[in-house]
Amino acid sequence: MSVFVDIVPDASQVDSPAERAPKNRWRGRLTRAALPLLSVVVFGGLWQLAAASGVWNQTFVPYPSTVWRAFIDVSTTHDGTRGYAGYLLWEHLYMTLRRVLVGVVIGVALGVLLGLVMGSIGWVRSVLEPWLTFLRALPPLAYFFLLVIWLGIDEAPKITLLALAALPPAAVATTAAVVAAPVGLTEAARALGATRLQVIRDVVVPSALPETFTGIRLAVGMAYSSVVAAELFNGIPGIGGLVKDASNYNNTPVVLVGIFAIGFSGLIIDGLLRTAERRAVPWRGKI
Amino acid sequence: MKLRTLITALLAAALAVLGLAGCSVDHSGQDAAKPTIRIGYQTFPSGDLIVKNNKWLEEALPDYNIKWIKFDSGADINTAFIAKELDFGALGSSPVARGLSAPLNIPYKVAFVLDVAGDNEALVARNDSGVNTIADLKGKRVGTPFASTAHYSLLAALSQNNLSATDVQLVDLQPQAILAAWERGDIDAAYTWLPTLDDLRKTGKDLITSRQLAKDGKPTLDLGAVADDFAAAHPEVVDTWRQQEARALTVLKDDPDAAAKAIASEIGLTPEAVAGQLKQGVYLTPEELTSPEWLGTDGAPGKIAANLESASQFLAEQKQIPAAAPLKTFQDAIYTKGLPNVLKQ
Repeated sequence: MSVFVDIVPDASQVDSPAERAPKNRWRGRLTRAALPLLSVVVFGGLWQLAAASGVWNQTFVPYPSTVWRAFIDVSTTHDGTRGYAGYLLWEHLYMTLRRVLVGVVIGVALGVLLGLVMGSIGWVRSVLEPWLTFLRALPPLAYFFLLVIWLGIDEAPKITLLALAALPPAAVATTAAVVAAPVGLTEAARALGATRLQVIRDVVVPSALPETFTGIRLAVGMAYSSVVAAELFNGIPGIGGLVKDASNYNNTPVVLVGIFAIGFSGLIIDGLLRTAERRAVPWRGKI
Repeated sequence: MKLRTLITALLAAALAVLGLAGCSVDHSGQDAAKPTIRIGYQTFPSGDLIVKNNKWLEEALPDYNIKWIKFDSGADINTAFIAKELDFGALGSSPVARGLSAPLNIPYKVAFVLDVAGDNEALVARNDSGVNTIADLKGKRVGTPFASTAHYSLLAALSQNNLSATDVQLVDLQPQAILAAWERGDIDAAYTWLPTLDDLRKTGKDLITSRQLAKDGKPTLDLGAVADDFAAAHPEVVDTWRQQEARALTVLKDDPDAAAKAIASEIGLTPEAVAGQLKQGVYLTPEELTSPEWLGTDGAPGKIAANLESASQFLAEQKQIPAAAPLKTFQDAIYTKGLPNVLKQ
């Protein structure tokens, strides 16, 4: 899942200049809605052409219609088979989202807490930073087998893996944000008689919040991109397990259905997080 | 300052280019002037590894580069065949049956039987799970690597006992994860292969082995496959390859210690451990190989075709392929050219 770090100025800024005619505004909106749609249409057309050209084997580039049929098959009960491997697509997706949610909540909560402590207390940062960097450098696949040995084959190792993937980005972003809290503001608050705790609560945390949110979005992205690794063993039901199992059988259409499901749900989740960010940190970019 | 930045950037770029092109580690000793034969192999103990370890193909085909590529599963080898990246490949009968059926329809032929699964693949139950027969497995958790020959054998063993795949909780686990889950008590039984199998047997008992299933008409084999266009263009290379594989079968029969030593150095186990594994597998002699029971002879493909057809039907019943391919497809896919005389060196 990609994270757009708000390069696009939000709507209020674009639309606020009064001299702009309403007609122009509508055109702007139309372009913004039409361009993504157009790109999807062009992509679909190119795909159809690539499949129809016959240059590649059907196993590599199946027709869009084949993938659509696989999507229908995976989402319904047909000839006595329920979806894929006994579960419907939404059930696979639901299980994965549940794992990601629990893993991310644990990972982000710990990460933000860790980041606050590391950002505010210098020696803690010195102690923990190498460990955090170490963890961040590890590909989840490298240590997943150890999690299986320690925690078994059920939910525990999967959620732990997702939490471990989500923790470092949240912690690093929060640390950086806390360290970067404006010295002028903290010192002013101190001078006005605020205690250390009050300074953190009323000055440091609000000023760190925008960057922390970026960290959270990155954390969710990291966790989401680890779902196939997390569901490598005993991953069914689960969308990552579905992709892995279908690829074992060279079943490309179902693999693509899984990939689209992961991608689209990732887009939706990131959209929700961006909305939450705008609500929670309305002052972002305006100080 | 500007100059320094420029120099740094140039240095970084030079390093990157070096890293990408110059410093790659390659001991394969390929000669660009010769055509290359690409062989996909796996690390199950078989004559294939003896041929590789002794460099017999390199000796017998001095006019070619031989490129050995390691794979972890038959599914990956199938993918490589579809991509036209392989000329020969070693894979289980279950992936071959899948590859020859629609929708994959991979253009390759079965040219050799590397081994037949015997006691080296088995269904074992944990001692404290209370499972004593296959029928007891109802409702229990059973681990197996999905899409493997063991998976196929497990489903065959279950259906022999009138159990379907949904009567037990099947868990997709690779052998090393099976061992971990077994020791934690997360699974009650597992269908897997050596060397993991021997570890499981310390605290469990065999319910059925692939040797028994083979007697009951559901054998699982490891096969050598050759790409159709390669076989058509270079039949003499296929002949040489079959001769060397047959030579390895003879070594397996006549000099098991030498065989164990060669295989051991390929898969990183001790020769003693490999010798133990070899005893539990079934390796045909060249005479058995060309009997009607297995590959058959030129123009008269053997029973392997029927075996692959039954595997294909089984996959269709399990909804892993849309429909089974007819017997004719598999008979056509047995490469019998020149058998049995071509195996004599």
